[in-house]
Amino acid sequence: MIRFEQVGKRYPNGHVGLHELSFHVRRGEFIFVTGHSGAGKSTMLRLLLAMERPTSGKLLLAGQDLSSITTAQIPFLRRQIGVVFQNHQLLFDRSVFDNVALPLKILGMGKDEIAKRTLLALERVSLKDKAEHFPADLSTGQQQRVGIARAVVHQPALLLADEPTGNLDPRLAAEIMSVFEDINRLGTTVLIASHDLALIARMRHRLLTLQRGRLIGDGEAA
Amino acid sequence: MSNTPVPPSRVSERAGVLPKKPNDKRPANEPDFSTLLLSWLDSHRASLADSLRRLGRQPIGSFFTCLVMAIALSLPMGLSLLLDNVERLGGSWQRAAQISLFMQLDVDNAEGERLRAQIAERPDVAAADWVSREQALAELEQQAGLGEALKELPENPLPGVILVTPKQIDKAGLESLRQHLAELPGVQQAQLDLLWVERLDAILGLGERFIFGLAVLLVLALLLVIGNTIRLHIENRRSEIEVIKLVGGTDSYVRRPFLYMGALYGFGAGLLAWLVLVYGLDWLNQAVVRLAGLYGSDFALAGVPLEDGLSLLAGAILLGYIGAWLAVARHLRELAPR
Repeated sequence: MIRFEQVGKRYPNGHVGLHELSFHVRRGEFIFVTGHSGAGKSTMLRLLLAMERPTSGKLLLAGQDLSSITTAQIPFLRRQIGVVFQNHQLLFDRSVFDNVALPLKILGMGKDEIAKRTLLALERVSLKDKAEHFPADLSTGQQQRVGIARAVVHQPALLLADEPTGNLDPRLAAEIMSVFEDINRLGTTVLIASHDLALIARMRHRLLTLQRGRLIGDGEAA
Repeated sequence: MSNTPVPPSRVSERAGVLPKKPNDKRPANEPDFSTLLLSWLDSHRASLADSLRRLGRQPIGSFFTCLVMAIALSLPMGLSLLLDNVERLGGSWQRAAQISLFMQLDVDNAEGERLRAQIAERPDVAAADWVSREQALAELEQQAGLGEALKELPENPLPGVILVTPKQIDKAGLESLRQHLAELPGVQQAQLDLLWVERLDAILGLGERFIFGLAVLLVLALLLVIGNTIRLHIENRRSEIEVIKLVGGTDSYVRRPFLYMGALYGFGAGLLAWLVLVYGLDWLNQAVVRLAGLYGSDFALAGVPLEDGLSLLAGAILLGYIGAWLAVARHLRELAPR
């Protein structure tokens, strides 16, 4: 699904975000990436979303080389990916339903199909009854679940999450993680960047550890 | 927590995956053509409704933006209409280039009419009109206010005139025609006064050039106004655009509501400009009619023709659209998700 081959990312100011990173992730895998602030977690996610390009090496996502992807191809690449942020990035002037339906509208689906899939996605995160509410009416945990529903509503092959539990208390964090596991069980590859080691340890999935842009650990969280 | 496999049917149900037909080879997320077309139309309808809603939320700001654009549009258009009226006042080019054949005093009406018919049959002549000595005298009395003075004359001093309107108005052709007509029997003098035609032509040419230059400058100003307005809308919706791009929205999807907004601003500005011109010319016309009346003329300014008004409206919409397109194209690059 994902293959990093000696991937490096050096910024114009000389800062090295990633240093010859190599690993691969199989389709359907659930994987954590951890490391201190500045370790390269976010850089890795940004490369996978084609928000940045590697300066060296080769990065393959579902067989597509992201080092040479054209600007016009980027939207179509992102349609295969769901992404969840720490700050949810919801649109506060739109209802919960409209937030979740956004990727489907962009895909050009019909109204009935959009309604059906959006309500199913909201049901999966136990927010079907909040469909007509606005994000500001919801708690932080509920907003995060809306973000997750939006990330999976179009059934992406890959789900990326950047510190998705960063603002949540442990009970809510565990709840959100169980939603991710449910999604993973449906066949979606899940990659979560997090520095919550206690939570990662409880989950017992593959863990990549980064330090200053280098991969220093690859194994099951213990 | 462990990875417990879920049966495929339950997987589909929980993920919101709808079952595909066995022979359907399309990917699960790829709608068919008719669905895509309907969705595209729906997206346009939604963009238009959204843009209208956003403009409606700031009625005063939207109105003033339209008004500024309307003033920029109405200035060159108004001047152009005034120039058209000046041209109309000065007569058409063909009329201005008429050749006057002053006949000998002993040419009577019958002979004059016969010569007029002969001239009118020429292929290079559009029309020929006979003005008898009596008609000429009556016109002079009426136009110059010399009625009493002319009555004192022992006899009518004016000759009969044939007014020849040529088909072509090139200078060389006209001169050649004048020479030919001057040699006809009974013709005392053939007069072609091109100087004032050339002067009026030069003045109108200058006016047209001035209006063109003004129009270019004001169109640029208008593009800047619309571009700046759209830039502010883009700034207000920056986070929304970033999210749309992150979930796979193309540039055209992002651009669409702003293009509608630009076109709507143009539509509003075009309508306002049309109104300004209609009422402005009507207001000016009252003074023009009064002035013309003092010179014994019934001249009045022509209003805004429907086709000119519609062209103004279409041009304004197009300019709004182009201004928005340029603004979005310029800022879209800066709106990469962060």
